[in-house]
Amino acid sequence: MSKPVNTASLRRRGALKRELPFHLMLLPGVILVFIYMYVPLSGLIIAFQKFIPAKGLFGNQKWIGWDNFIYLYHLPGAISALRNTIIIAFWKILLHLVIPITVSILLNEVQNAAFRRTAQTLVYLPHFLSWIILGGILIDILSPNGGFVNKILGLFGVKPIFFLGSNDHFRFTLIATDVWKEFGFNTIVYLAAITNIDPNQYEAATIDGANRFQRMIYITLPNMRMIIVLMMVLSLGNVLNAGFDQVFNLYSKQVYSTGDILDTFIYRIGLLDAQFGVATAMGMFKSVVSTLFISVSYYCAYRFADYRIF
Amino acid sequence: MVESKHWSSILFNVLNYLILGLLALSCLIPLVHVFAISLSSSAAATGGLVNLWPVDFTIESYAYVARRAAFWRAMGISILRSVVGVTINMFFCILCAYPLSKEKDQFRARTFYAWYFFLTMLVSGGLIPLYMVVRMTGLMGTFWALVIPGAVPVYNIILLLNFFRQTPRELEDAAIIDGATQWRIMWQVYVPTSTAALATVALLSTVYHWNEWFHGILYMNSPDQYPLQSYLRTIVIDMNLSKMGANDWQALVVVSDKTVKCAQIFLASLPILLVYPFLQRYFVKGMVLGSVKG
Amino acid sequence: MKKLSSILALLLALCMLTACCAAEGADPFGKYDEPVTVRFVRSTDDTLDTNFFAQFPDKTMTDNLWCDLYRDVLNVNVEYDWIVKSGDEYDQKLNTAIAVGDIPEFVNVNTLQLKQLVEADVIMPLEDIYEQYAAPFTREILESDGLSPFQAATIDGHLYGLPNVDSSLMIADLLWVRTDWLEKLGLPIPTTMDEVMATAEAFAKADFDGNGVDDTLGIAIAKDLWSQMFSLRGFFNAYASYPGIWVEDENGNLVYGSTLPGTKDALQALHGMYEKGLIDPEFGVKDGGKVAEATTAGKCGLFYGAQWNSIYPLQSCVNLDKDAQWQAVSIVSATDQPVKAQTDVGTLSWTVVRKDVKHPEAVMKMFNVFIDKNWGPENENGIYYAPLDSESIWKLSPVVPTNPHKNDGAFLDLEQYRKDGDESKVTGEALSILKKLQAFESGSEDGFALWGWERIYGAEGAYGVLIDYYNKGMTQDNLFVGAPTETMTSKMSTLEDLQDEVFIKIILGEEDIDAFDKFVSDFNTLGGEQITAEVNEWYASVK
Repeated sequence: MSKPVNTASLRRRGALKRELPFHLMLLPGVILVFIYMYVPLSGLIIAFQKFIPAKGLFGNQKWIGWDNFIYLYHLPGAISALRNTIIIAFWKILLHLVIPITVSILLNEVQNAAFRRTAQTLVYLPHFLSWIILGGILIDILSPNGGFVNKILGLFGVKPIFFLGSNDHFRFTLIATDVWKEFGFNTIVYLAAITNIDPNQYEAATIDGANRFQRMIYITLPNMRMIIVLMMVLSLGNVLNAGFDQVFNLYSKQVYSTGDILDTFIYRIGLLDAQFGVATAMGMFKSVVSTLFISVSYYCAYRFADYRIF
Repeated sequence: MVESKHWSSILFNVLNYLILGLLALSCLIPLVHVFAISLSSSAAATGGLVNLWPVDFTIESYAYVARRAAFWRAMGISILRSVVGVTINMFFCILCAYPLSKEKDQFRARTFYAWYFFLTMLVSGGLIPLYMVVRMTGLMGTFWALVIPGAVPVYNIILLLNFFRQTPRELEDAAIIDGATQWRIMWQVYVPTSTAALATVALLSTVYHWNEWFHGILYMNSPDQYPLQSYLRTIVIDMNLSKMGANDWQALVVVSDKTVKCAQIFLASLPILLVYPFLQRYFVKGMVLGSVKG
Repeated sequence: MKKLSSILALLLALCMLTACCAAEGADPFGKYDEPVTVRFVRSTDDTLDTNFFAQFPDKTMTDNLWCDLYRDVLNVNVEYDWIVKSGDEYDQKLNTAIAVGDIPEFVNVNTLQLKQLVEADVIMPLEDIYEQYAAPFTREILESDGLSPFQAATIDGHLYGLPNVDSSLMIADLLWVRTDWLEKLGLPIPTTMDEVMATAEAFAKADFDGNGVDDTLGIAIAKDLWSQMFSLRGFFNAYASYPGIWVEDENGNLVYGSTLPGTKDALQALHGMYEKGLIDPEFGVKDGGKVAEATTAGKCGLFYGAQWNSIYPLQSCVNLDKDAQWQAVSIVSATDQPVKAQTDVGTLSWTVVRKDVKHPEAVMKMFNVFIDKNWGPENENGIYYAPLDSESIWKLSPVVPTNPHKNDGAFLDLEQYRKDGDESKVTGEALSILKKLQAFESGSEDGFALWGWERIYGAEGAYGVLIDYYNKGMTQDNLFVGAPTETMTSKMSTLEDLQDEVFIKIILGEEDIDAFDKFVSDFNTLGGEQITAEVNEWYASVK
């Protein structure tokens, strides 16, 4: 079945010419990404050094192999921080998918345009307040001593809960407040997906006698499949990101045993004392784990759902 | 049959409005709280007496902020940064997402490029080497340090390329028969049919540029160059009391005025909140499809 | 104290030695023939913006009276490579800049950064420059609070940083108490720990605002247990426990003050107070600003803190309730021994010089000018340090060595004035403070905003108590003042976290008091033992 060489090379040249615009379109982005994202990767060598900052990035640093990683592993509290991170991150990943998807579908069911617009705008507000600001507000709202939330729970006979200071409730508080802060903003992507659904599909379904729930389950949801799978795969990269800013602004020493995460842990022992080598080793460990998770989920999405996310 | 369906539909509506209404209200609380403090007297605010309604109503804090040149300069820099930054982001986003949305038979190298971009989301070299590159490329201390290093938004590219893929291939084939180049197809077929997606990534970019504070502090050489969030960060964060010298407390007195802090936080949130309703019309169902059909 | 005097003697001897041979050409105030540019980096804060730049919008960080002064006197131009706002960001940016080898010519660093820079061999020893160029009065000021600021910057016998000295006494704890409440209840000012407890209990039970709700605290504590506001240091000191600093044991070896037996008693006492409802169960999550809401709103009338607490946060308390009155009193003892208030090295930054700098002595000359202008015999303190209308003006200088005794000195001047009424003898900073006190006594509304100053420098002011500490030898200094040791840099912050976590849990009753013994053994096995050894090795070297 071998073809004459010249036809093949001609065809290849034709393909090249056809694809040339694509290469040109990508060129500027490829160059910038190389400079500002790939070149800095050389800094990962710090992870294997006893890095003394003043000697400079490529100075005469001492190579210590895997010592920084071993040091991390043996630090008291490291294992509990890892466990907390995984538990908190798992629930956040799950709920950051489920809640925004649900809310975007519910919003889509609202017929009153004014209500929908208002609700859509309001849920998106907390995203713009940083955790520093929210931290101060949450201490008030969640206080066991006259805080707003406990007052409401009190109406139902619930005893005051020390959300921020009790090891029984701290993780839950972290997860719940984070989901509350971000769900509105996260619905945006799903709303964009819903917008793209062809209204004819709904009309056809209504004519076929489908009720609202059936339309939600059989039309809205399947049409969002692409974006849901995409978000799911991408979010798995966060398996070791439990949210530094949030934890840092909400935790206190009495809840270290349930609330200390890898990032806060490394911040305390690493960055405050300028131990860049240890901090970089930590970053590298996180990268490897998230790459692993994303690769597996990418493969699964491709293998079982026949879907390539990129 | 019809009645029960009707009845369940009403129940659903009531519950739906109720749930969404409560959720929306809960999201309003923190901002209202901040706003109420900004309109209260300083003593009431530091006494923790303000909840959702101002105590000892006064607009003194806003009068003070109005006179604060540093705040408005920072706001100006942030607006400029958002406009320039988002424009650059959108340029790269469209330009990269379009070829990557092609199937392998159209663009054989797409998988390679896709991984090339995607990998950068997974590993990064960290702060120090990036600082070094920014310095070597001469951006240190310039406005461009805020927009160039992050010019290519990989996450947004992946999002957009997935939306582009949903555009029916027939549209493109028809355009090719009409003799359109790829550049024209991108600009005249894909971009107009993806307004909701473009609005989404534009919003993500705007929010990123508006809220980002760390690069402002790291790459700028003077507080005069800080964007708004970097500026806010320096006033919002409480002083580290354990690292204070015997004469540092004066800073605490000046910084600590809670009402002024809250006035600035509130004013800083306003511009970005105005962007959303503006982009919101792209998320309203039917409009996009209507424009394609028409 | 013996070691200090021996070092002092050594330095003095060195001084005399060098004074004779280096007298020529080493003029501490010598003006350069050609302009010399010194490049610094720095941080700034809101006090400068509010008090200075707002009034003089055309002035900049490199064009102001301090830069003019350095140019006129020394022919030195001050420039900055970069400026950041606030101290945390300064450390962050400086650490990053150092890491990429972008080391400024002149830079103010902490001891850890100093140590790293010495290890990398990029900064120069400064002892010769200090010997040759420090003016006699500069030396007097820099060494007036002991030599610990120099010891902290001395590595292998070389002095690598010039200390921007600051007072160590001024951060000692006082007991702040609401005297109007004491009067209402007919209680005396507490002088023993039992009385402190009784006061706390009486305050907590009383319903001063008459709202019928039991919402008054006995004693206020913030989550940073050892800072200068709502602190616990003064409380622990009562039990001869000195958390966070190094003190001598009976054998003359240094031990970590948190592991002393008195600590256990203090924790037990605090837990007892918690049981009685005298302590906010939420203290572990509230920072100083949050706790201040209680004192401001009249929900608390007793806490340990520093001398400046009347200006912040207590001024807002009296603004809200004109009848409120606070006073700082001496901390008390819980044992039969007199109490000692713990202090620490007050100096937080040292100016270091990069190796290749041509005129390293320029910075020493700037130290001379700064100190001479502010506290010298012909000072112009009222213009260059703290003029009435823009108090923070001294921060415009890149180097800021403070006269450690300027505040207590001012207080003593004012005491003298209160005795003899001779205003002409009150000068410099004391004069600007006197003006504030007079404004307050005038009873005007603007004057009332200076209540906090009166509580510090007035007749029953906080400085009186601090000076008493000093005169009566009621202070416990941190005896480890060297650069952080090897194990300290890697383990100390973890150990401090462990300590605070255990202490808070014991106070809240989540762990019983025996957890303290476990903490002591954990402390030792997790690196404390090694740190103690290193600290004692240093201690032996300076003895």
